[in-house]
Amino acid sequence: MGHRFVENLPDLIQPEEYQDHPDGRLVRLRIRVTDEGVEVLGDAMRPEVIERVLRSLGQDPIDQMLCG
Amino acid sequence: MRWTPAILHSPAGERVRCDLCPHRCALAPGQVGACKVRRGAAGGMETATFATSVAHTDAVERKPFFHYRPGALALTLAAPGCSFRCDYCVNHPLSQYGREEGPAWEAAPVDVPEVVAAAAARGACVALSYSEPSLAVELTLALAEHGRAAGVEVVWKSNGFLTPEAIDVVTPALAAVNIDLKGLDEARHRRLTGAAAAPVLAAIRAFHQAGVWVEVSTPLVPGVSSSPEDLSAIAAAIADVDRDIPWHLLRFTPAYRMREENPTSPAELAAAVAIGRAAGLRHVYVERALGEEGRNTRCHGCGDTVVERGIWSLGANHLAAGDCPVCGTSIAGRW
Repeated sequence: MGHRFVENLPDLIQPEEYQDHPDGRLVRLRIRVTDEGVEVLGDAMRPEVIERVLRSLGQDPIDQMLCG
Repeated sequence: MRWTPAILHSPAGERVRCDLCPHRCALAPGQVGACKVRRGAAGGMETATFATSVAHTDAVERKPFFHYRPGALALTLAAPGCSFRCDYCVNHPLSQYGREEGPAWEAAPVDVPEVVAAAAARGACVALSYSEPSLAVELTLALAEHGRAAGVEVVWKSNGFLTPEAIDVVTPALAAVNIDLKGLDEARHRRLTGAAAAPVLAAIRAFHQAGVWVEVSTPLVPGVSSSPEDLSAIAAAIADVDRDIPWHLLRFTPAYRMREENPTSPAELAAAVAIGRAAGLRHVYVERALGEEGRNTRCHGCGDTVVERGIWSLGANHLAAGDCPVCGTSIAGRW
């Protein structure tokens, strides 16, 4: 159960949405079929929430962007 | 993990004292310090930080640096370890090496000439970030030594928790440093990070006085740095060093051991910007939540927009050799 630290991942949540979700409960998923299989991209205002979702879908390792 | 010789230590009886960070651990041979990546060795010390888990290339704005070579690329390395154990750390799977149960931390030894050549080929600087770069002082010095001839500079995104002697050793190697100032109240700072706040402010002042370009970041951590009173005190402390130091206000993200709190609202960030400006700071930034206005640089002489930015990117740099093109006011930075 690990992480793979990647340079970049697309944002699924935009800054304009912050004020509509003051409690930070917004989670967004994008699921699509690629040549390699099924790609699940997630974004959440609480990182552990999207990590739990991805783990439940069997993602291992999880690609993660880092802060800084 | 590969251990290599470390610098910055002194005898302490039958032990060796680590002089890199203010924890100043006294270590027996083989004993690992509070950072988990430096240990005592016969006659000296060793470090596990001549290694990196990533080699990412991205915009220098992501560190964030807004007044250091806008639009330049940064080749980012991350050595293991951190001298803090912040409760909200989004990077904890990487930064908290040695403190957490979990998958093995993977890193490869750094080939310094190879990293410098890769950075030079893209006109990039080398950044040490994501974990705590000051723990990789030996790597920093090696990168700077090799980078000098190739025109490759080294920058840090750091917690600023260094001893005065460590700052003296590393300042010639650094072009710029962004230091997190997470609060000034000692008790609350220690509860959040496991370390004292005063050395961080001292490091900001010391790096600035030594001529290293300094920017400061403050995450609005609930109960530590998010109240107007706390933000006013932090802004005043930065302004006391130099009101030209850019101040980056970071949105708090509920993570790690602080999952119950809410993220910072845009209104709180806008209020924090006003607090920074009221304290006299000329350049206060919010990267995402306040749109372009939060990211752009305005001339403090005439108010004209002199640097436009996207999210983690340069839009346009209108400065003429660092001066406002409208009124000629000099804008502090390494342009």
